[in-house]
Amino acid sequence: MNFSVITSQFWSLVLQGLALGLIYALVSLGYTMVYGVLRLINFANSEVFMIGTFATLYLEVHVLGYATNSPSLHGAKLVWTLVLVFIGSMIACALLAMLVEIVAYRRLRARGANRLASLISAIGVSIALLEGMRIITISRPMTTPRLLDKWSFGEFHGANFRIDTLMAIVVPIIIFVVLDRFVTKSRLGKSIRAVSMSEENSKLMGININRVITLTFCIGGLTTGAAAFIYTTVYENTVFNVGFNMGIAAFTAAVLGGIGNLRGAFYGGIALGMLEQFASAMLGSQWKAVTVFTVLVVVLLFKPNGLFGEAVQQTRT
Amino acid sequence: MNKKIVSGLAIAAAATLALGVVATSPASAAAKTSVSLAFEGPLTGPDAQLGQDQIPGAIYAIALYNAKNPKVKVNLVKADSQCDGTVAANVAPGVAANKAVIGVIGTSCSGEARASFPAFKAAGLTMIAPSASAVSLTNPKAPDRGFPVFHRVVAHDGFQAPALARYAAKGVASPKFYIIDDMTTYGGPLAKGSIPQAKKLGDVVGTDSVPKGTADYTSVASKVKASGANVVIYGGYTTDAAKLFKALRDGGYKGILASGDGTNTSDFPALAGSAAEGVRLTAADVPFDSILSKAQLAEFTKITGIKVPGLYSTTAYNATNIFLDCITKGATTRSAIQLCVTNGSWTGAGGETIKFDRYGDIIGGAPVGGYLVKNGVIIYDSVA
Repeated sequence: MNFSVITSQFWSLVLQGLALGLIYALVSLGYTMVYGVLRLINFANSEVFMIGTFATLYLEVHVLGYATNSPSLHGAKLVWTLVLVFIGSMIACALLAMLVEIVAYRRLRARGANRLASLISAIGVSIALLEGMRIITISRPMTTPRLLDKWSFGEFHGANFRIDTLMAIVVPIIIFVVLDRFVTKSRLGKSIRAVSMSEENSKLMGININRVITLTFCIGGLTTGAAAFIYTTVYENTVFNVGFNMGIAAFTAAVLGGIGNLRGAFYGGIALGMLEQFASAMLGSQWKAVTVFTVLVVVLLFKPNGLFGEAVQQTRT
Repeated sequence: MNKKIVSGLAIAAAATLALGVVATSPASAAAKTSVSLAFEGPLTGPDAQLGQDQIPGAIYAIALYNAKNPKVKVNLVKADSQCDGTVAANVAPGVAANKAVIGVIGTSCSGEARASFPAFKAAGLTMIAPSASAVSLTNPKAPDRGFPVFHRVVAHDGFQAPALARYAAKGVASPKFYIIDDMTTYGGPLAKGSIPQAKKLGDVVGTDSVPKGTADYTSVASKVKASGANVVIYGGYTTDAAKLFKALRDGGYKGILASGDGTNTSDFPALAGSAAEGVRLTAADVPFDSILSKAQLAEFTKITGIKVPGLYSTTAYNATNIFLDCITKGATTRSAIQLCVTNGSWTGAGGETIKFDRYGDIIGGAPVGGYLVKNGVIIYDSVA
């Protein structure tokens, strides 16, 4: 075990862990919010992420016409281009997530189908999307243009404050703050919380359950779309199965934080990102997965509802 | 049991055996008017370019052969195992079950080869690999060796690994190596095999093993930068090499980047973008366009649709020609092909002699070439 990295690369690993962890956190919202209202895992969320990365690529290359070797953009053009692609990716993922809800969940729910049926239908949608994209792209990885030049603001004890790293930290934090306020303060947000506490009582209070569930999928899709945009802008590549590892990581983050809990997803994502970075640096990258899942099992042994599981029972925020 | 029944069964068994022998005898086989060779390698998937660069060599050789109106025409069967052992384990039995296939040009990757061995050994199907270079595949003591069906027309990583370290450090005054592998059958041994040579040339300041398919290489980039390394060697395939090299350059690493033939595919510069510039690559291959005359190159382009032959199209061409020569000599069954390939001797496209040792390697090995990425194109530089 190499402890010297803690002193030599501590701030660098913290910065990178935050950036990676917050991408995980955004995707984990797609799992945790749906679980909150339906008590079901939305297995198609990993493929919503995958479609988001391809939507980003499609918008940049085919709609805006940038080639993989196009020069980076600057000034206002850079800002509006990134904002446009960011919104496009979020809309694509939100629409897909709502479609997943209609196809895989709503009808089965209306017919009082077994909960496992919904679970399997979501897995079916996930596999159909994955294999469809495999056929379309003949499994080839794709590179996106470097629209955002990776310039640095400076270094702090070896941590490089690069623009893309900061974007991967700041944008998710803003999204979380807005979403947290929305869920706790707005009428619609309160409806989501009410449904997550008791569907029956919510019905009696006149809440339109289907509308709330669709809204929840929509929000999960929007945050997953934001994650897909950030991922593609930072790593500049995608492939048909990009959602698989991301889905496992995000689901792990949701469970680590306490699934069903918005703030749990946030802190669970950060904890996972940090854990991966420090495990890779101290033990070697080959030990990353072993370390992460060992820690997850140990945490669940002592806190079966995840790090913020108790808060779930009380507030669902 | 009744003696009459026993003797009756014995006669029936003997007759069946005799008929079986007749059915597979050379005289019967000679009556064949067409046979198939299979190309097994990655044709789709993240590492598809490796196979897509090679298969034109096989297509070209077979087209030239069939154009001579031989007695036995040859068809090419494509088997896409995606440079993935799990996929290959499912694909190989299908190839083996196709009775028309009498030889396999492949596999491209070492993991695919290892996973294909059980099916091909059971079927007696001879393989000649254009680029599967892991040492263990022909190591008589290794449990995953391909004997007796496996052969390869490429120098194994016992030659490539030290050459990679040499070429990576070429012109570097005091090389400090950081050696990374992708934990595959190919990448792991290639990277680790370069360590002894690296230690002779300078210092090895760090090593890491990052599973193939990893998305985020930032922690590796931090470690490399903090180590003070000025030469990074990666044992792995194109897609991951592109991600790693981008992360290293974005993380501020300014030293040499080098990798082996798994990364030496024509799509590498596009995938790695500006990080590809100056990357040093090796391969136990002589560029096909340096061997072909202008007229031959035009003919190659006309047949395959490829303007510039990719890496290992030469070895794929050589592997195919060995099978075609055996077929010309009358070997049209799997067993006859195995006998011919094991004992024959040929001249490769570059004029070199190809003869296999008992475990499937070319006797005497083969030179390893050094390649550079310049202006977004991989060019041959010198012997590594």
